Amino acid sequence: MSEPSPIVLIVDDEVQIRRFLRTGFELNGFVVHEAGTGTEAIRAATLRPIDIVIVDLGLPDMDGSEVVERIRSWSTVPIIVLSVRSTEAQKVRLLELGADDYVVKPFGIAELMARVRVALRRQSRAASGEPSVTVGPLTIDLAARAVTLNGQRLTLTPKEYRLLQVLAQHAGNVVTHQHLLKEVWGSIHMQDTHYLRIFVRKLRQKIEPTPDSPKILITELGVGYRLAHASEAENGSPAPVTVS
Amino acid sequence: MPDALRFAGLRKELRPLTLTTLLVAAVSMVIFGVIWTTGLTRGSVLYLIPVIIAATRWGIVSSLYAAAAGVLCSAFFFFPPLYSFRIRDPQEFINLILFVFVAILVSQLAGRLKGQLELSRRREIDMRDLYAFSRRLAVAFDVPDIQAAIEDHLTAAIQRRVVLFANARDDAATAAHRSGSALPQNVFAQIAAIEPDGTAKEKGIGATSVTATNGDIWLVRPVSPKSPEFGVVAINLGQPSKDNVDDMRVRVDNVLADATATLERLGIAQAINEARMRSQTDQLREALIGSVSHELRTPLASILGAATVLSSAPALAREPKLQALVSDVRTEAERLNDDIQNLIDATRISSNGVRPSIEWADPRDILDSALERCRKRLARHKLVLNLPQDLPLVHVDPVLVKQALVQIFDNAGKYSPPGTTITVAARARDGRMIMSVSDQGAGLTAAEQPQIWDRFARGERVATATSGSGLGLWIAKSFIAANGGKMNAVSDGPGKGTTMAIELPVAQAAVHPMESDSDE
Repeated sequence: MSEPSPIVLIVDDEVQIRRFLRTGFELNGFVVHEAGTGTEAIRAATLRPIDIVIVDLGLPDMDGSEVVERIRSWSTVPIIVLSVRSTEAQKVRLLELGADDYVVKPFGIAELMARVRVALRRQSRAASGEPSVTVGPLTIDLAARAVTLNGQRLTLTPKEYRLLQVLAQHAGNVVTHQHLLKEVWGSIHMQDTHYLRIFVRKLRQKIEPTPDSPKILITELGVGYRLAHASEAENGSPAPVTVS
Repeated sequence: MPDALRFAGLRKELRPLTLTTLLVAAVSMVIFGVIWTTGLTRGSVLYLIPVIIAATRWGIVSSLYAAAAGVLCSAFFFFPPLYSFRIRDPQEFINLILFVFVAILVSQLAGRLKGQLELSRRREIDMRDLYAFSRRLAVAFDVPDIQAAIEDHLTAAIQRRVVLFANARDDAATAAHRSGSALPQNVFAQIAAIEPDGTAKEKGIGATSVTATNGDIWLVRPVSPKSPEFGVVAINLGQPSKDNVDDMRVRVDNVLADATATLERLGIAQAINEARMRSQTDQLREALIGSVSHELRTPLASILGAATVLSSAPALAREPKLQALVSDVRTEAERLNDDIQNLIDATRISSNGVRPSIEWADPRDILDSALERCRKRLARHKLVLNLPQDLPLVHVDPVLVKQALVQIFDNAGKYSPPGTTITVAARARDGRMIMSVSDQGAGLTAAEQPQIWDRFARGERVATATSGSGLGLWIAKSFIAANGGKMNAVSDGPGKGTTMAIELPVAQAAVHPMESDSDE
């Protein structure tokens, strides 16, 4: 492997969780650093170059969200939050504080690795200025402001394009309703989720091969929307039979 | 007696005295008429009429006034020398004595009668209050209901501010809050002195009065000296005179004795004790389930996580048998996690912790997300979706509705054989959105249909064949109810499949969304 191994910082007070995460990440070719408290985590993040942070919400010395906030104040490193039990409102808050994603415990390592890869890819894309995002048959060319489905150029309204653009900038990660509403309609419409619902329905008719079981523009109930990551869009389940 | 009070007393007498004067005048006119038409000369006996009326109606003062006025009028108008108050005839003196005697006697009799009437009226009100009290107790649901009933009854019966304390350690603040404003400090002290054994520390003194800083006198005593369960009452008597305090005390004693008799007859003391014990047990159980399930999840996260790491390890990939074992660990851990989630949800429901966060949601998104969640469980079934293109948005908590749907899908998958079809349909009708899930499975007997919604309900026919806590549908129903919807299950009978339907209200969107889809 010519590229250096990515470095992950795992922040959790449970030794057992840290142990399986370490093994899982090492199997996937990561270099692992561990921290058991929020203070340790913040120190570790300032001392060493870190590629991604996995932080548990319940830490002995401070809330995980505080760790997110503190690290975010000086760094753009991707952060994924783990929590035993969180409400949709808490998830939205974490995303607004700057977390890239969240995973509810218990979870499988594959699920976490998928989120980690998405976050890392986004980071590298942002760094290299790579202009296009591809999700299954859909390609969004951010430089040319063009969207193609199976190579066919799609005609989108400026607002539809804007919505896809915001999602593509966070490709694979959830974008909250409030953020989308603010970016597409402006801050006075931040509570008008019904705009978004109808709008997404229309957009799906254009960009989804099977609009009735969306595989590209995914709903995260109570939180927001995200663009599927490439692997997800290709290996989806067989679509159910639809009768209308 | 202050001047103001004397003046008030005078005013009170003024009306009867005026009326009496009018009566006497009227009688004088009648006597004039009688003498005029019949030529009779002795009409003064008719002045007894105002005397008797005044005595029965307005008491001794008015009747004596009527007697005097009657004698004076007959002396002036009807006895020679006419138009002079001088009296020659001894008959007049007899009249005067007779009038006075009648006035005193009748007013006394009437007074006593009035007293008795008042007493029996009071008694009737008391009985009615007591009856209302026992009816309210009969429908009281928990201890606070009973306490509120006692407090309201005493307030109505004594016509003073009454505050009931279950016990002093307990919520003095709550009781004060309930009755509007805080109680004086020394009243609290007195209540604390009576507690905790329910009897006054000074034996034989049922009640103690306390004078608060603002001069109000408070009477503090246990509701019943025998049953401490009923608590202690503090009664604000206002600022009465010494005699009034004693009267009030007697009144309070009577009211409390009646109330206690009612409470004892209905076995309220026992009910209160049982309810207290039950609510403590409930709270303990909820707390236990809550923390236990939370504590269980942390190790479960390690188990599941470790199992997934193991199954992806290259070393294990060469060992299919071990691989299968790891996969079992994972599946079972996932199932355990679902059970724990059900316990947490059930705890949340029974501690009234379900607070839906309502938003505009697309019913397709909700269905899709629930199906995604159940993908593995329904992998061996054939799924058919029947969703019209123009489904309206619903105004609900999408996550709660999704969880209800997951429970329904889970049931459909569990109770219908692999290879059969599960049909998911949605339609809007009459302002309601109906989502239904039909399977071709075990179905329901007529007896099972109403039972499936109960907490811990498990069908007898299926209990041994499939696993489950029996919480699922109860949770689903509660979540849907929290969104203002309802659920029902229809089945043509055992073996003929089941259709579970969720009915949700469809609210009207304020703005048509397409209006804002204009270009930048």
